[in-house]
Amino acid sequence: MILNIACLALLTIGVVIFFGAVIGVLRFPDFYSRMHAAGISDTMSTISLLTAFALFQLHDLSWPNLLVVGKIFFIVAFISLTGPTSTHALMHAGYQRRNRPPVRKQEPDEDMT
Amino acid sequence: MKTLGAIAVIITGALLLYASEDFPAWGDPHSPASQYRVSQHYILKTFEETSVPNMVTAILADYRGYDTLFETVVIFTAGIAIIAILRGPIDKRVRLRLASEKKLRESNLILAQTCRLLVPIIQLFALYVIAHGHHSPGGGFQGGVIFGGSLILLAISFQLQTALDRVSEKKAILLAGVGVLIYSGIGLVCLLLGGNFLDYSILHNLLQVDPITARSHGILGVEIGVAFTVASIMFAIYANLSSRGRMKGGL
Amino acid sequence: MIWQFDIIILGFLLIAAILALRETDLLSATMIFGVYSFLMCLLWAEMAAVDVAFTEAAVGAGASTVFLISTIYNTKRKSSD
Repeated sequence: MILNIACLALLTIGVVIFFGAVIGVLRFPDFYSRMHAAGISDTMSTISLLTAFALFQLHDLSWPNLLVVGKIFFIVAFISLTGPTSTHALMHAGYQRRNRPPVRKQEPDEDMT
Repeated sequence: MKTLGAIAVIITGALLLYASEDFPAWGDPHSPASQYRVSQHYILKTFEETSVPNMVTAILADYRGYDTLFETVVIFTAGIAIIAILRGPIDKRVRLRLASEKKLRESNLILAQTCRLLVPIIQLFALYVIAHGHHSPGGGFQGGVIFGGSLILLAISFQLQTALDRVSEKKAILLAGVGVLIYSGIGLVCLLLGGNFLDYSILHNLLQVDPITARSHGILGVEIGVAFTVASIMFAIYANLSSRGRMKGGL
Repeated sequence: MIWQFDIIILGFLLIAAILALRETDLLSATMIFGVYSFLMCLLWAEMAAVDVAFTEAAVGAGASTVFLISTIYNTKRKSSD
């Protein structure tokens, strides 16, 4: 029962943060703030969703299920490494490709050559 | 021309949709495909005959081993063809671009360190996928692609030269050949011991196990051969495509 | 197999395919093609063909996207079509 509630809470948090990421990507004005929204919320929500899956596996404790939980935590570790790094790489590439201040009025990510 | 193509696509799609009306339901045990005795034999007898729990791996590498052998040869040939077309000497323009890019590349410390951390994990996972193909989804093709992907990641995050220092071009082509050689060599050993081509159960004298386990071991050997070819060909294709066959600079 | 889920994925698949064909910026088209491959992978996994899904994820969404991007890097980015 407690496990279910915890699962649901984590799932809800993950989905809400994902929704925020989508709104951020669609509504923010320029490339950098869009990447900011996508990068942070993507990593966080994926981690919370995967933790919810891992908790759901703990309903009946057995060795195969614990193995699945271990694998899920491997994925969590992987995502928490790759998510920020990929965001950083994109930001870096964007900054180096066009040396202009990040705040602009128009649609920015049209001409990256 | 475009509208003509669109009309053809729409007509074909409509015909296909119309034909899919007659399909049996998904997973229907009474459909002709499931009723046919070959598929019933595979579904019922695979574990008894090969002691491999994952039916797909057993069919891919044992029952249809001849097929997979030539799939591997197809990948080998495709890689060799791409190398033959693209490989060429370095020219002045590429050297200029190299100089301008060097500054860009060195400054990204975070990316380089993370990739340094991740590449061994990815390679370990690739080996796990290859070796664990008997019990879980995976096998030579997937594991090989993941292994080649780890080398590509090395080439993207550092420079192409960094990856080429680990696996040089010559070594990659050699390893691709070795993969095909392992696969067909296992088949040849079976032939020499008096069995059929790629009939692994004849290997039980050589491996000192019973014939059923010998088939399982034979599948593992074949998967390793496939993985060698796929991994090295993936890397060779990337190295040639990204650097226009000059093996310098690149993405 | 849950058919509602199936229909949703198929709808996205159709949208991704049409967008990948209509896009004139080849880099965007490659990205959309990666999305297409990933949706295809989801569809295979959902139809319990896990091996095929794994191959699609590794080859379609991973390797072929990298190959296409490295080709675009060395040729031109805008499609003349």
